[in-house]
Amino acid sequence: MIRAGQGRIRATTSETLEVATRLRKVQQVGLYIAKLIKSDIVLSIEGSQLLDGAIKKNVIELSEEEAEKWMKAAPIERFREKSEARYVVARCGDLYLGSGRFSRDGRIYPQVAKWRRIPEE
Amino acid sequence: MSDDLRDYLNRLPDLELDLLLEAYEKPLPEGFRINTLKSSEEQVLARLKRKGYEFEKIPWARHGYVLAGGSDLGKTLEHMLGLIYLQGPVSMAPVEVLDPRPGEVVLDLCAAPGSKSTQIAQLLDGRGVIVANDISFDRIKALSSNLQRFGVLNCIITLADGRRYPRFAREFFDKVIVDAPCSSLGIISKDWGIAKSWSIKLVERLSDLQKQLILAGFECLKPGGVLVYSTCTLTIEENEAVVNWLLESREDAKIIDAGLPGLRYRPGYTETENMRFNEDLRKTLRIMPYDNWAEGFYIAKILKEG
Repeated sequence: MIRAGQGRIRATTSETLEVATRLRKVQQVGLYIAKLIKSDIVLSIEGSQLLDGAIKKNVIELSEEEAEKWMKAAPIERFREKSEARYVVARCGDLYLGSGRFSRDGRIYPQVAKWRRIPEE
Repeated sequence: MSDDLRDYLNRLPDLELDLLLEAYEKPLPEGFRINTLKSSEEQVLARLKRKGYEFEKIPWARHGYVLAGGSDLGKTLEHMLGLIYLQGPVSMAPVEVLDPRPGEVVLDLCAAPGSKSTQIAQLLDGRGVIVANDISFDRIKALSSNLQRFGVLNCIITLADGRRYPRFAREFFDKVIVDAPCSSLGIISKDWGIAKSWSIKLVERLSDLQKQLILAGFECLKPGGVLVYSTCTLTIEENEAVVNWLLESREDAKIIDAGLPGLRYRPGYTETENMRFNEDLRKTLRIMPYDNWAEGFYIAKILKEG
């Protein structure tokens, strides 16, 4: 794992890292998997897919319809327990969809980058 | 289409202009690859079937399919989650010819936006390294997004002029692909502006660039390694002339057979009205748009002896 800028964490293989040290003009290595926001680890879509079975808590299940909404970055309604974390990971069947943030209005806001969103009709 | 372009095409040996124009009028087939780094082929195909999509297997592309029913695949959950990658069917051929194996270190010298880099990554199956290079900062952004969406852990993105790559990576790679910038006559169906802006001067400039790129790619190859040179255009100056120039420049460059099952193509030209090339150019693949009713391409597979 590599610490990149702005709290971002990237993952790669040891062989890739070794090759990168021997090249020039390197812009990026590996995959963006998470971001550190204060004391929270916010998993990217690929971060949640890589960790899949290892994520035991703070997971919300989505229906297929909710998963489509999630990938449009539309907020999802869910009741939040007081003890629940600020960030959760969304799952639809065996597909992981990255992190969402619980807001004060009781909704979960998906952390999906603009370039990754399903366009509105 | 300009008169210059029509005249040029009419002088290409064995070209059937009527068929070519017919191919240009048809929309290109929509192809896609299943991302086996993230899911099984069966599971993804089952998901697409449930959504009403129909598809046919592309014979020459492992994990490649053509859409036969349904539309807007690019707006699906499967696409945004990186379970599929949209790519033209013939565009999948150069990497199949390259045949990257798990554990190899592979260079994609002109990588953006990333169709071939992600295809290479998939065939490496997480072992080895894919180095994806491009000269343009703006295009690198698209490359980065596509590698991210595809979930490639073992990738490096470099921002460099491909012609200068041997300065720091001489004889470094097991395999190299040079999918060179070209005049794109194989994909006019996508954009008729290509036909309107075509000129022989453009072709000559591109040919000079392509010669420098193929040589740079070859110099980055380890002895015993394989380089694939490909373009999506039909001109001789950007295809056979470039490969022939490499053969004349480097004694250790040898063309090897490159056929793929089910892919219709014709052999590269060895002679035109005013040019003669090495006989081995017959082993290169010239794919006209009307051969597979898809993109036109040119592919050469070159071994570095040693």
